[in-house]
Amino acid sequence: MIDWILMPLDVMRFEIRRSLTPGRITMWLLLVLFPVVLMARLHSLIPDTAMTADEALLPLGATLYLLVPEVTCLLGLLLWATPAISTEIEGQTWVYLALRQAGRRTVLLGKYLTAVVWTLSAAWTAIAISMVLIGATTQWRLWWVMGSLALLSCVAHAALYVLIGVIFYRRTMATAVLYTLIVEYGVSFVPALINKFTINYRLRGLLAQWMDWDEMRSRAENVFGAEPPQTHLFVLAGMTIAFLGVSLYRVERTEYPTQQEG
Amino acid sequence: MIELNHVTKMYGNVVGVNDLTITLPAAAYGLIGPNGAGKTTLINLLIGHLRPTIGSVHVFDATPSRDRRVLRQIGLCPATDVLYPNVSALEWVQYQVRLHGIARRECKRLAESALEKVGMSAVMHRLMGTYSLGMRQRTKIAQAIAHEPQLLILDEPYNGLDPVGRSDMTQMLKDWTEAGRGLLFASHVLQEIESITSSFLLIFGGRLLASGTATEIESLLAKTPQEIRIIGPDAAKLIQRFANVDWVDSLQLTDGRRELRVSLRDPTQLYREIASWIASDGLRIQRVSVADGNLAAIFESLLRHHRGET
Repeated sequence: MIDWILMPLDVMRFEIRRSLTPGRITMWLLLVLFPVVLMARLHSLIPDTAMTADEALLPLGATLYLLVPEVTCLLGLLLWATPAISTEIEGQTWVYLALRQAGRRTVLLGKYLTAVVWTLSAAWTAIAISMVLIGATTQWRLWWVMGSLALLSCVAHAALYVLIGVIFYRRTMATAVLYTLIVEYGVSFVPALINKFTINYRLRGLLAQWMDWDEMRSRAENVFGAEPPQTHLFVLAGMTIAFLGVSLYRVERTEYPTQQEG
Repeated sequence: MIELNHVTKMYGNVVGVNDLTITLPAAAYGLIGPNGAGKTTLINLLIGHLRPTIGSVHVFDATPSRDRRVLRQIGLCPATDVLYPNVSALEWVQYQVRLHGIARRECKRLAESALEKVGMSAVMHRLMGTYSLGMRQRTKIAQAIAHEPQLLILDEPYNGLDPVGRSDMTQMLKDWTEAGRGLLFASHVLQEIESITSSFLLIFGGRLLASGTATEIESLLAKTPQEIRIIGPDAAKLIQRFANVDWVDSLQLTDGRRELRVSLRDPTQLYREIASWIASDGLRIQRVSVADGNLAAIFESLLRHHRGET
């Protein structure tokens, strides 16, 4: 039982070790710099006298949320979680993993954890630098909320992208990008029941709840939701478990091509 | 060790393997067939990577696609290359062993031991991206034997090995089989397999055409219709000899009457008579060979025989 937990961690260690390449590190730095540069620019556009620190919290906090948990995390996970299986198939190494007793499920869970750790580290670094740049180092609630939302975004979206990668192992990236644009960025803003089935709707609901942005929530209830935080957390946990469960089932059953001949 | 019962694997409308039925006790076997014959499909069925469309596959009395615990007893060296350029052989083999659920500390010992067996100890800490093709091939063998399986499956294992590497590999595989463990060795080069085992499985067009020892298969081939070429200045003079026998289907004289192509119903008769005809008629014949000079022609003949067409 303990090995069931330790083995994915060993896969994660192996994956992180082999990912320490200049290309991947550059990608990580770009993920960090993207929100930091935009936050610095936005902060420079707001004159010091225009509003108090508390008044500036709403536009800056909302932007930081949009840039990190909703954009940076998704970009990072698209690169890390989506191709979990397809890279092994394209690299012709899937057969080596699939013929191991616990290979399929362990590799999938290990790669999921790797995607979460890589992206979350970039997201937290970006949040920390941005908070310093906008002079909000003492805004403890913002630290806590942004950090938690980045964590939840990584955990839930990584499970979603792993599932997409397992099902659509050909044209994986295109499918994941299309899904993200249509569902997570499109449907999640649709003022109807359907947006409740998206991760971003739940994250926005938690943002408004945890930051006590009641006025914003009452003006756009369909976008930010009216459910209590525990409902959002429960749904996010359910989605994550469901996505990972279906992924594990599929990865154990699917006959992926090995690109061998003969 | 292996039991296949009417196994057919379809890829859509394409047949991967077709109605394979065979029982193999623990021993060494050569799996021979040209590219696209179905060797890799058969291997993928044995490791549970593929499920048969029809029939059942049992390895060590378990169904590999359902009971993955049996994979602990199987080691596979696939034909495909390893592309993890920035990890060392030791890290990679250790990782592969770990995926069998073997304890971390034990994984390192097993990986080191396997790499030592294939002569990679000195370079096992170097990144695999710096390895030659032969070194990568040895590393692939190491990952296949590291968890100490009871059945080793090798798909074209001599690819990329230099003569010294081939000799070392042959010795290692002989030691493996002498220890009483199972070996299935897929190749399209007969000589590679002959140096390890005398038991063969001939596969072509997804069908198991023949199985047995080299002598049994030679005997079967001798009875299988074949086309042969007789080359020499006096090749045409053999026509009258062939015209008087009932085991020849057709004759064709080509290359300025220097090459005679003979389609035979019973090649054994030819091999029995040809030397005495040449000697008694004082003919100048330079060469007698199978028509296309390759394995595919023989496999085609065997396939016709297998279908009962001859």
